[in-house]
Amino acid sequence: MELFEYKAYELSNMLKEKKISSVELTESVFNRIDSVEDKIEAYVTLDRENALKTAAEVDRKIATGDTLSLIAGIPTAVKDNISTKGLRTTCSSKMLENYVPPFDAKAAEMLQASDAVLIGKTNMDEFAMGSSTETSYFKKTKNPFDTSRVPGGSSGGSAAAVSSGEAVLALGSDTGGSIRQPAALCGVVGLKPTYGRVSRYGLIAYASSLDQIGSFGRCVKDIAMLTDVISGHDSMDATSVNTEHPSLYENLTDNIKGLRIGVPDEYFGKGVDDDVKESVMKAVKELEKNGAVIKEISLPSTDYALSAYYIIASAEASSNLARFDGVKYGYRTESYGSLTEMYEKTRSEGFGDEVKRRIMLGTFVLSSGFYDAYYKKAKLLQQRIQNEFSNAYKDVDIIATPTSPFAAFKIGENIGDPLKMYSADICTVTVNIAGLPAVSVPCGYNAQGLPFGLQLIGDKFCEQKVLNTAYAYENAVGGFRSPSL
Amino acid sequence: MDIDILHIAKLSRLKIDDSEIESFEKDMKNIIDMVEKMPEINEHLVLDADHPMKLREDKAVSGKFSRQELMSNAPQVKAGCVVVPKTVD
Repeated sequence: MELFEYKAYELSNMLKEKKISSVELTESVFNRIDSVEDKIEAYVTLDRENALKTAAEVDRKIATGDTLSLIAGIPTAVKDNISTKGLRTTCSSKMLENYVPPFDAKAAEMLQASDAVLIGKTNMDEFAMGSSTETSYFKKTKNPFDTSRVPGGSSGGSAAAVSSGEAVLALGSDTGGSIRQPAALCGVVGLKPTYGRVSRYGLIAYASSLDQIGSFGRCVKDIAMLTDVISGHDSMDATSVNTEHPSLYENLTDNIKGLRIGVPDEYFGKGVDDDVKESVMKAVKELEKNGAVIKEISLPSTDYALSAYYIIASAEASSNLARFDGVKYGYRTESYGSLTEMYEKTRSEGFGDEVKRRIMLGTFVLSSGFYDAYYKKAKLLQQRIQNEFSNAYKDVDIIATPTSPFAAFKIGENIGDPLKMYSADICTVTVNIAGLPAVSVPCGYNAQGLPFGLQLIGDKFCEQKVLNTAYAYENAVGGFRSPSL
Repeated sequence: MDIDILHIAKLSRLKIDDSEIESFEKDMKNIIDMVEKMPEINEHLVLDADHPMKLREDKAVSGKFSRQELMSNAPQVKAGCVVVPKTVD
């Protein structure tokens, strides 16, 4: 077994016991990148030189007997919308092709303060708008289980990198499912934390009230380890919640006896493939066998969640992306006369079609005469969805649903039909609308060997229960299965 | 619903080429038809009391970045200033 194939928690022990060095481990991951990156195209930018420097520094610290964090020396990838000082951060957009942030995002800073080895920046849908990573300006990332298929999105590069062994851990961001859906499609574990748990400072904004940074790994333990590192209050993010976060890793247990799991009928309806429903229900049965109590519940407004999501997210995007005007940073068009012409040409040349569609949708729903009918109504619907979840958590601890309504689709299959692409998010958007934590864990494979994901949703700041449930399931059925590449 | 795509594009500071109008118009119409599907709601918005925003003091913070660092990403710089087209006649 090569070093890149081990889980982070195993590698952490091996490093501590001096059985391996971080330099050896980092070289193993880069060798893997050298052999499969041409096929997978998970990265926008690699940072081999600095990664090896950090690894050598970690080895020096271990040799001198320093007490290090659990993720010290572990090769970790970062989604390319999380700012990294001195390292190009593009959002997979022509608009930011040459943008080098003068500061670190809080999450990136915490990662580096924990001595993680940052190996590169991963590909994504442009400005995190998409569910297949096909809207990237640079490249199309491939699914490691079938390279003719998408890895999901928008954090498709992070999911594919962890799945293919091109990274041990990765950070992503999730606005409507962008961590969980690619995790499901690439057969890895992905956690979207509670809104406010991880600082958004330095995360290039798509929809600020829904965006949240989270973790990818090949097992639940690894996710717990990485989430511990990036959790915490930050005064630079006004929505960061100031509360204690006991270690998820230290408190991880697979004892779920008496845990009440709700199964909402609305997540198993039209649009969800039969083999997905079957595999998720099989997983629910497995949890029941392990001591959980299963209850049928109802979340009646689920069917309207996609409308509320696309209205709220696009409205915020239209405002957030107004900053890309070709003045202080980013792309500027070559030739222009007036200031307005410069703005219009810069934005039209710098943004791709999906970004333009969402900016225009957001502009439309906020425009004079339409605000009440769209944006205000969507906010009311958001409140109703939040209330339905709050009421459900009076009777259950965890809600189990599919992550994605279908397994990985072919590259090019949905890109020409925005509505079909949007339907990939039907099971995940409610979680962002309600600000809840949710994990996706692999729960079987379809006839073509493509992975499915089980989504486990908890009440606010109940990440521990979410991960314990996922851990119990993982231990019961066996975990990550490597794609053959 | 009819969409005036050129008007929305103008408000968005985007320029849509003539050859693209039809496809953007069709996509936007489909998307708006989809998001319109919302129930009648006669409720009022209540502020989320358990998640208040903590705004920082409205005070200038200095010293974190040098002018040079902040200007290094600007598309066009002259004498330490960002260059833009003439805005006042």
